[in-house]
Amino acid sequence: MYRTAAKRLLGGGGAFTATRLLRFPKLRSTIIPSSYTSGLCTSSVGGNAESPMGGNQSVNPNQSDHTASSSSSTSTGEGPRRDESRKPRAEFQEEQARVLSASLRHVPRLGWTEEAMMAGSRDVGVSPSIVGSFSRKEAALVEFFMDECLQLLMDKIDSGLDLQNLIPSARIAKLIRIRLEMQVPYMSKWPQALSIQAHPLNVATSFKQRAMLVDEIWHAVGDGASDLDWYVKRTILGGVYSTTEIYMLTDDSLEHRDTWAFLDDRVKDAFDLKKSIQEVFCTRHRSWSWEISSRTNEWSYADDVQKKWWYYVLKDHTFRHDSAPFLHNILS
Amino acid sequence: MALRSVSRRLGSRILNHRSFVASLHSHATSFGFQEVKEEDKSKLVGNVFTNVASSYDIMNDVMSGGLHRLWKERLVGKLSPFAGMKHLDVAGGTGDVAFRIYDAIYSVKRRALQKVDEASLEETQIYVCDINPNMLNVGKQRAAERGLRDNKSLVWVEGNAEALSFDNNSMDGYTIAFGIRNVTHIEKALAEAYRVLKRGGRFLCLELSHVDIPIFKNLYDLYSFQVIPHLGELIAGDKESYQYLVESVRRFPPQEKFASMIADAGFEKVEYENLVGGVVAIHSGIKL
Repeated sequence: MYRTAAKRLLGGGGAFTATRLLRFPKLRSTIIPSSYTSGLCTSSVGGNAESPMGGNQSVNPNQSDHTASSSSSTSTGEGPRRDESRKPRAEFQEEQARVLSASLRHVPRLGWTEEAMMAGSRDVGVSPSIVGSFSRKEAALVEFFMDECLQLLMDKIDSGLDLQNLIPSARIAKLIRIRLEMQVPYMSKWPQALSIQAHPLNVATSFKQRAMLVDEIWHAVGDGASDLDWYVKRTILGGVYSTTEIYMLTDDSLEHRDTWAFLDDRVKDAFDLKKSIQEVFCTRHRSWSWEISSRTNEWSYADDVQKKWWYYVLKDHTFRHDSAPFLHNILS
Repeated sequence: MALRSVSRRLGSRILNHRSFVASLHSHATSFGFQEVKEEDKSKLVGNVFTNVASSYDIMNDVMSGGLHRLWKERLVGKLSPFAGMKHLDVAGGTGDVAFRIYDAIYSVKRRALQKVDEASLEETQIYVCDINPNMLNVGKQRAAERGLRDNKSLVWVEGNAEALSFDNNSMDGYTIAFGIRNVTHIEKALAEAYRVLKRGGRFLCLELSHVDIPIFKNLYDLYSFQVIPHLGELIAGDKESYQYLVESVRRFPPQEKFASMIADAGFEKVEYENLVGGVVAIHSGIKL
């Protein structure tokens, strides 16, 4: 949804510009006045991604004054001047991106910290004091990394990943695996990144990034959901992704084999859950269906019906004389 | 969008320029609410600070109710000093900001938390520059009291903010706390700040600024003009200097205007943060 909407807005400007829009939605005012509260000291609304409309409001009265007095002016100077005004502002964003990108190399050694960012800034040739101006410093690095990974994933999907021959659950597993493999170089410091993302100040942004990731994966799988189903699907996939991510933190197996097995199981569970829910609401004999699904929930629907029946019989030590209609329903 | 389009709106450039220059000109020739000659202003300001130097810190505490300490903490927090940085604190005579930066870099707790190597710690240089030698002397005295008399990291330099004696691209940080108001030509001071900073270096300015909130503004004006000069009389024995102080605050450009001046000097990502509803504002910019 996000991606298709963004593409529509930009008229197919390409994946890169789509990300730019999502990542830096408001390239507006560089003067950012603070909002005052009743307290003694107020905090500034810092950073470029969160500039409030107040910034624009304070600028507009000036603009209207100038336009009123400039009725006889020519507009020839407008073009080059506008370019020149846009360039310096964009420079800071680019510089920040450059510094953060260079900092990623130092993360496995120094962690998601200011030291890594200062080392990165030295690599780029900029004074380390620029790090002091990043809003929510360490979070900026983590969020940059998450955006980069999402972008990489989108590029990989666009450049022809073979998903057609796989069933949906395998497609999802493959995409999640690709995404998680991007984190492997930073695995030793990933718990720190997770804790940074869980920090109250950063939760909103990290939640949004994960939502975009999950949306992207469903989009690639070929999701045609609507209404409540859309939210349910994304929530469940979000849960699968997060649990796998956390499992991966303590996985020592070769090439994270255990993680991928865990992932496959969780995806299967998710699909089974979906089928179980469908069973409960869609079959004719609701009470029988409920009993079946509650007692045999670790078996998929494709399993042998016979086995299921025996399980039911032996487990409860009951042989219902009216099991014939039950069997009839299953077999029909 | 903002900065450059505001200050360089097409067509009104001429009008804007004229009014811009006029207001700056007025700052250069204003000594509080009085009009003085440009060349006399710095001498007059010099006299003010010579007179107040010895009781400067006490008066700060009394006038702001101790809040100035919080404001300076906030300034240094925003700066995020790091070991090995070359920092310049202009108009920082008595060393308040410089000592805070020193503490931030050398504090044991910080060193324990972060992996700071001793070599980079040695490279740290904090320059305190002030035009008035009396203020510097007070600062040196305070340093001696803290045991930092012979410390290599703190360097006390006498100099003019409009013509600094430092090399181009030599500083990681530049702060000016409650000083830019007293400079004769603000844009020269800003240009010097730009010159002296390295690429990526930050400019931070803490200054008394304009209050817009209706009732609070009246209370603040009342306090400024009725109470402060009398406090000055009582504690420092100098009413005129403090009258100059409150008047110069009113004459200083408001937050937005000053921010656009900073942007004109070449700084990127110019922001300001109001503290106490606008009584004090911290402006920041980055040289790229």
